[in-house]
Amino acid sequence: MVFWALLVVIVMYQGVGWAAEPEPGEASQLGSLPWREAGLTERGAAVHLLNRLTFGIRPGDVEAVLAVGLEEWVEAQLGPSPEDGALGKRLAGHRALRMTNEEIAMTYPARGQVAFLARRDGRIGDRADGTRQGESSPGAEGNRRAARMHLLAYAREQGYRPQSELLEQLAAQKFLRAVYGEKQLVEVLTDFWFNHFNVSVTHNRARPYVLTFERDAIRPHVLGKFGEMLGATARHPAMLFYLDNAKSTAPSGARTTMDHELERYRKLPGLRNRIDRALQERSRRQSEAEKMLPRELKSRRGINENYARELMELHTMGVDGGYSQWDVVEVARAFTGWFVYPMGPVGGEARVRLEGRMKRARRVGFVREGGFLFRSDLHDAEEKMILGESFPEGGGLEEGERVLEIVARHPSTARHVARKMAVRFVSETPSPELVDRLAIRFLETDGDIAEIVRAIVHSAGFWKESTRRSKVKSPFALAVSAVRGVGAEVRDCRELLRWVRAMGEPVYAYQAPTGFPDRAEAWISAGSLVQRMKFAVSLALGRIRGVEVPSYQKPGGSLSASAGSSLRRSGAMLLPGRDLESTIGLLTPLFEETESRLETWRGRAELVGMLIGSPEFQRY
Amino acid sequence: MWSRRAFLKAGGLAMFSAGVGGVPRFISRTALASSGGMAGGKRRVLVAIFQRGAMDGLMAVSPLEEPLLRQYRPHLMMEPAPRAGGEGLIPLDALYGMHPGLSSLLPLYREGHLAIVHGVGSPDTTRSHFDAQDYMETGTPGRKGTGSGWLNRATRMLPGEATPFRAVAMTSSLPRSLYGEEPALAIADLPSFGFTGGRRSKGGSLLLRGFQSLYEDTVDPLLRKAGGESFEAARLLSGSNRESYRPAAGANYPETRFGKSLRQIAQLIKSDVGLEVAFAEMGGWDTHVQQGASTGPFARLSGELAGGISAFWADLQDERERVLLMTMTEFGRTVRENGSGGTDHGRASCLFLLGQGVKGGAVHGGLPPLMESELEEGRDLPVRVDFRSVFGEVAARHLGLADASELFPGWKGVRMDLLRA
Repeated sequence: MVFWALLVVIVMYQGVGWAAEPEPGEASQLGSLPWREAGLTERGAAVHLLNRLTFGIRPGDVEAVLAVGLEEWVEAQLGPSPEDGALGKRLAGHRALRMTNEEIAMTYPARGQVAFLARRDGRIGDRADGTRQGESSPGAEGNRRAARMHLLAYAREQGYRPQSELLEQLAAQKFLRAVYGEKQLVEVLTDFWFNHFNVSVTHNRARPYVLTFERDAIRPHVLGKFGEMLGATARHPAMLFYLDNAKSTAPSGARTTMDHELERYRKLPGLRNRIDRALQERSRRQSEAEKMLPRELKSRRGINENYARELMELHTMGVDGGYSQWDVVEVARAFTGWFVYPMGPVGGEARVRLEGRMKRARRVGFVREGGFLFRSDLHDAEEKMILGESFPEGGGLEEGERVLEIVARHPSTARHVARKMAVRFVSETPSPELVDRLAIRFLETDGDIAEIVRAIVHSAGFWKESTRRSKVKSPFALAVSAVRGVGAEVRDCRELLRWVRAMGEPVYAYQAPTGFPDRAEAWISAGSLVQRMKFAVSLALGRIRGVEVPSYQKPGGSLSASAGSSLRRSGAMLLPGRDLESTIGLLTPLFEETESRLETWRGRAELVGMLIGSPEFQRY
Repeated sequence: MWSRRAFLKAGGLAMFSAGVGGVPRFISRTALASSGGMAGGKRRVLVAIFQRGAMDGLMAVSPLEEPLLRQYRPHLMMEPAPRAGGEGLIPLDALYGMHPGLSSLLPLYREGHLAIVHGVGSPDTTRSHFDAQDYMETGTPGRKGTGSGWLNRATRMLPGEATPFRAVAMTSSLPRSLYGEEPALAIADLPSFGFTGGRRSKGGSLLLRGFQSLYEDTVDPLLRKAGGESFEAARLLSGSNRESYRPAAGANYPETRFGKSLRQIAQLIKSDVGLEVAFAEMGGWDTHVQQGASTGPFARLSGELAGGISAFWADLQDERERVLLMTMTEFGRTVRENGSGGTDHGRASCLFLLGQGVKGGAVHGGLPPLMESELEEGRDLPVRVDFRSVFGEVAARHLGLADASELFPGWKGVRMDLLRA
């Protein structure tokens, strides 16, 4: 296969250093986009480009692309993001979007945490909850109500807000950005990469950090280097919790990084005895603390393989990427000690303790970066062998970083990512040649995502007749493209998002680390299709709360002409560049049955709803 | 053979009403297409109920003679009821008693249709709700990456042609158990599932006709097929009994989300739409604080659970021979009560199996004496029954899916003998 032959060359080339950044202007050397070869008009090409690189075509979008030129439009989408003031205004009211992890943890503690704190502070508990015998007494319900009131009052005083508010703002920003963001490609890619590195609000501990995960670990890198995004996801609290790395530790008995650091200090004259005394004191205190702790709080030692496995299977190399169970265990060992810095009101005491000692902790290998904490006392520092490379004993944080670098640049990762992007942007069954080409581009550019997008739109496969309209919109994409298509005004996203969920895509809440499958069959079933049609009609008729639809102008001319011309005009708006003759032919008689139907706003709205719910509109 | 198009044309608009003679059209078509397959819509149904939050199995079904319980659970333990209807454990046999909140299940137990399996849990010792639910729903303890749920894999293995209602969850989005290749429906509420929310206005029927002709005509095979099934499904549900469904006499469902879920599952079963795997869930079992004894939160929860299940059974009086109901919960709770009158995350719990083929009227599995040395890690009910040996039995004997290797990859255990062959 071409891929492997070229790969040898590239890997040899890598031996002397990675390919240089592409020179400025190289993009234009790629020449014009090869749409003519696929028998397209420029207008048809603009439509296809918009379909694939945006969340749907607004009235006027095609003309705008034609005005600047297709190549220039692509380059602008791939280029730096200027301030998007209009979008900024729409997001301004969502204050969680600007919070740090720590602020979010302090503002939106889980309900259980608030109850715990309220009980600790004596605000609820036996007194407020009724005595135990009291539970069976007639006053029990009253007691519970009183406890709830106390709890609410306590939360208000402390400035705690319900987590539902955080989740609403998270989901709303996704919808608003997708509808109103000018850098549409960034929104499409953010959706794609979040799903690739899926974390989920269904996970209690990951939930508060899903917002910053997308904002800080995904979004800034969607046009940058894959390896940088991978590194950012690996350290993010949402991922550390979601895939359990925050409970993966060196097995008991294994020598840790801190042991090694202390060993170094012990060699210094005069320090030996002090360190030994300190260590004895520490282990004495630890075993005492262990004795005091209830069993469920006792630290369980040992590795957890979840992150290591999904890192290779899902995030990088792919299931057949050439790693073994051995590698999974060794990678898990390399990531031991990658923890989350204690945050939020409940973590307060641990945090204060840690902050006071961070300076000393740093000397024995602790590292803190924002919400990320490397605990050298829990990192397995014994020798490792990972994917054929040896990691000598005594390592620390840099071992996980080295693993990330190895897998980020692995040829299997190049293929896995190339294939997944080809499936997203080209077709569910991309040709092996295209995947090879993209994989090679990935390796040549050190995983530069913008370069891969560029390679995709410059490939013949992207423009082929069999590729166009071959993909089915996800429920989210359907909803956004419908809103964009009719030019609706979104004031409140909540009910829209309920529809998206009903159609089968609970955003940010896909429980499995695989993310939503990107396949037509996964989105289209009898049940979900009913919901799609119902959504289409509800949206067009202005029945979705928080969404204002336009007045759908009255068509002119005679009645018999008006059904056809109305359909043609609405069709051109919602589905520009498509051949809608058969759709129009099928629907025209229906609207001609009742003479006055299109005279009413409702009739015209139904016509728009029918187009949004049509098979044509489900495709892109 | 009729082409799909000819079929729709011939059926025409008559199909706006629910299926003729109680047998919806796509069922008869199915029977036609796969001659030798199951006749009509009378298929076997598995109803899976997930009790989220981890039910305290020791409180649900408790040893009658266990002096240690008084020590472990001074505020939670109950004495056997001195007389029927009194407050206290309801004796089931010489060893076990049932929480009084579950009393409406007692007749089913006495009739021999209800079995209890005690000491059920996962070989993976996680005490995280998320992980344990994940492992139970994927059927692969210890493995997070399993893409599909075990009920989806079971659905995939079922013989005969699928209808759109083959696998249905009464939830707002698909549960992990039904993730996977096989289409499955998540229906939060049956009445709002159809096209017009039950009312058929003039506009509604115009829209329906419009969509129907568009989807019939599209060249896209996937959309054409799903479209055809959508219209049949929606039409079926927009039938007269969708909102005015009357459960059988004596079936008094609790007025809760869970009660409604079971009522709508019964409705789907009775309308013969081809349901084979149904899923419902009930939350609130995470009783860390003041769980109560014969009254209180646990009693309320178990009352709702048992009330729903017994109403469901009463409602299905003519369909019982093909229905099996199974409850599950991610783990059990600590044997000792905690400082807040509740219990914390533990290991084994119990589950209920209901059906005419069930070896009922018995407590299977069981609990050891509760001295500390017999408990897992000195604190929890030990897991003596791998949940897969129960799920596997149900899949094999009730649904005829004997090959456990696809259902529970990597599992080498033995099925528990719980159902009559």
